[in-house]
Amino acid sequence: MTGRPGDPDDLERQLVLFGPRVYGLLVRLVGRPDVAEDLMQETLLRAFRSVDTYRPEGKLRAWIFRIAVNLARDWIRRRPRDAAASLDDGSDGPLPSALAGHLPPEADLVRSERSRRVETALARLADPDREVLLLRYYGDLSFKDIAQATGEPIGTVLARTHRALRKLGDLIPEDEL
Amino acid sequence: MSGCPKNTEWVLYAADELPADRRADLEAHLAACAACRGEWESLRRGLAAMKSLPREPQVRPEAMESLRRRLRVAAAHKAARPTVLAAVRRYGWVAAAAAIVVAAVLWGVRPPADRTPAVRAGDRDVAEEITEIAAAIEFLEGSDLARAAENGFNHSEAPAYDAQEELMRLLERIVTEGA
Repeated sequence: MTGRPGDPDDLERQLVLFGPRVYGLLVRLVGRPDVAEDLMQETLLRAFRSVDTYRPEGKLRAWIFRIAVNLARDWIRRRPRDAAASLDDGSDGPLPSALAGHLPPEADLVRSERSRRVETALARLADPDREVLLLRYYGDLSFKDIAQATGEPIGTVLARTHRALRKLGDLIPEDEL
Repeated sequence: MSGCPKNTEWVLYAADELPADRRADLEAHLAACAACRGEWESLRRGLAAMKSLPREPQVRPEAMESLRRRLRVAAAHKAARPTVLAAVRRYGWVAAAAAIVVAAVLWGVRPPADRTPAVRAGDRDVAEEITEIAAAIEFLEGSDLARAAENGFNHSEAPAYDAQEELMRLLERIVTEGA
């Protein structure tokens, strides 16, 4: 899906297919399923409305994730104080339990528990570090695409990735993976 | 290799994006440096954790349906703009007039006692009704009427007038002046 979308019906279908992946990114960035649902819809609507500004040499996925990241950043900047406090206090925060109900129903108990621990550790990273890690290993973007999506130099992206991976690794014991 | 590799090199190593010769250097260094082995183990666990995340958490079907509906409305708006929008706006007049009548009736049927500051909550109900009416008009403009317009009717002589904007202005006045 790298060409310029032409047919509006086809574009609508493509954007709908992006919904779950964009939601997965957003819910881990903002920590609230209800907000992530709204932002997911807003992301894809904005993509639809401004598809004329999309440059075909870039990846459509990277362009959409860039919109999503910007919306998430706006929401995080404006989020109510109590929500910010619960995310930043170093505790588990609302994310893991919020995502727990969104795991695939076929996931077995062990896998769900492991995922919950990873989500918990992920929620404890600094917002910009978590953002880079998710874009790389969940969004499958290249470091170059991440630099474009976040507006940061590629060296900063690599440094954030290193810090985030290391902290995540330190938070999760070997036997929990 | 002189000294330990930079942090960013470990990231590129993990991503398998280092040139082969540099990769061989790092692996040789790992074998000889306990501190870097510890560093690499942390990174490797972090990487494994990220790869274990569910790729696509389930989204509520209602949210996906809402997305589809909003995309359809946006598509209809896009198709209607700009050649047939003037025609749609002509019908916006009718909708605006109907909405004003509904709002006025809702406002007028309440006894005078209801208009005291103690019962201002009722005003919010009226405002919510107005918002719903306006949303309905927006939806009609974006879907049914837009499609009808695409199918042939053309009122290009219709005045360039934003009925929806005027509607909201009038309704806001009803609420604020009546309160």
